[in-house]
Amino acid sequence: MCAEALVRLDGLTKRFGRNTALEGVSFGIEPGEVFGYLGPNGAGKTTTIRLLMGLLRPTAGTARVLGLDAWRQPVEAHRRVGYVPGEPALYDRLTGHQHVAYCARLRHRDDAGRAAKLAARLGLDLGKPARTLSRGNRQKLAVVLAVMSRPRLLILDEPTSGIDPLVQQVFHEILREHTAEGGSALFSSHVLGEVERVADRIGVVRAGRLVAVERLQDLAARSLHRVRARFAEDVSATDFAGLPGVRDIVVEERALSCNAPQAALDALLKRISARRVEDFECAEAPLEETFLTYYGNGGNGTGTGTRAAAGSGTGEPVGAGDDGEDSRAS
Amino acid sequence: MRPNVLLKTLRDQARGLAAWSVSLALIVAMYAAVWPSIRGQPSMSDFIDQMPEAFRSMFATTGADMSTPTGYIQIELLSFMGPIAVLIYAVGTGAGAIGGEEDRHTMDLLLSNPVGRWRVVLEKFLAMAAGTFLLAAVTGAALVLEGRLVELDLPADKVAATMLHLALLGVVFGTLALALSAATGRTGLSRGIPAALAVLAYVVNALAPLVDVFDRLQKLSPFYQYIDHDPLRRGIAWDSVLVSVATIAVLAGAAVVGFRRRDIPA
Repeated sequence: MCAEALVRLDGLTKRFGRNTALEGVSFGIEPGEVFGYLGPNGAGKTTTIRLLMGLLRPTAGTARVLGLDAWRQPVEAHRRVGYVPGEPALYDRLTGHQHVAYCARLRHRDDAGRAAKLAARLGLDLGKPARTLSRGNRQKLAVVLAVMSRPRLLILDEPTSGIDPLVQQVFHEILREHTAEGGSALFSSHVLGEVERVADRIGVVRAGRLVAVERLQDLAARSLHRVRARFAEDVSATDFAGLPGVRDIVVEERALSCNAPQAALDALLKRISARRVEDFECAEAPLEETFLTYYGNGGNGTGTGTRAAAGSGTGEPVGAGDDGEDSRAS
Repeated sequence: MRPNVLLKTLRDQARGLAAWSVSLALIVAMYAAVWPSIRGQPSMSDFIDQMPEAFRSMFATTGADMSTPTGYIQIELLSFMGPIAVLIYAVGTGAGAIGGEEDRHTMDLLLSNPVGRWRVVLEKFLAMAAGTFLLAAVTGAALVLEGRLVELDLPADKVAATMLHLALLGVVFGTLALALSAATGRTGLSRGIPAALAVLAYVVNALAPLVDVFDRLQKLSPFYQYIDHDPLRRGIAWDSVLVSVATIAVLAGAAVVGFRRRDIPA
């Protein structure tokens, strides 16, 4: 427990009638940290964020933002919080400049200069009325409005959906500048790929429960390698059973394929090399795939769950693992 | 502190208010235009006297003389058209104040700024009240100025008093709509219930002389506070003003409480 935590959720629970949207979620976000909040659509990400923004009243538990109760003291908290909603809703008739002016006045600040710089970096024309903006440009305007007041905490509900990759890079830069100054961010997404470049830690929420919180570094250390080998003679699956961490073992006549974390590679290689090898291939899978393996589908969050079918559970197809091949031996 | 939400809401309404003002001035002009052909025709009053009593109660202020400017305006504008116009504006604006921003999801953007919910409700309320008073003032000014052109001479002070009561009538139902909108976020419901209650209140007040039950309920009707003391002849009735203002204060308080307790759905 850190008293300095910018966000602190304790047993946060939200029910809508009989439907439980969020159940006993607890985690904290430290200064300078980007917390990736991952989960399939409908898992409770937006509910958590709306609780943090004081838009929903918790059924049980507390959400504290900058040490303030999110529901009881929203005004004080929002002075230093920037928020990008999942569906950025804007005032159709107002231009970007007018949005900037209105929000700045509500914050008793003058942020026009900084907003103009941010808009220029993102390639957004602030002179157009919001109703004429594309989805991506609306998203950019929402980002400008959230970031321009130099908040300590950014709460971002899928902020880069609808933004093209080049602009995403600019957005990541802005986010890094924000954390370099000691700011924190909660960044929600339904795919790991969106947050893996910027997040320090990730939390995984599924069906209203937080199933894992993990340093991205640790996840990377457990990243899986896809190992394939072809032998000179037939082998059987039992030859490779009992190796800790090795999963998804498939043996077809003379060919073996399996997935193994880095730590299991040595033992696996020794088993393989005990036989005559004709061909061998070992490639690191993308982080996304590792992530899905551990948390993709009904996993229990301890990292020993069963292999998930790629793409299920996140509602988003995942890139084929081939682009992760960086080592190859034959 | 600058009332930013109030100013923004009024600016959003500027075009709508301008259109309403022009329409009201035109309606008044229409009544003024007909006046020369009605004036000095006591037969009109005879005609009204011959109407069935229930009908007369519903659409004409009792005891009004159609052949005088005051009676003509009482019957033609104040009994029906004026209240309907002001109520449509006030109820529509009150219901849209909170529900409208939620329907367009801009409430998230607004509340993500350091603005208290009570402040949003109060400033939205003030915007609705200001708009209603503006429309009543435009109607009053049109009555006095346009009336002069056709010798439909009305005492300006009494017109002002009547418009004050008319505006309060509008604000009472507008604040009810605002309270429902703040407590439920549902625009349709917040418009429908005040509209239905306004019709009921109108009928209760109008038919009170004929129906016993209504007679007992009459003083509860905001229409009673508005018109029963005959403001175009007797000016402001302070007790009625007080009742209206108290009703508005209670409803505005309920709006604040309702909005502060509620979840804002995505």
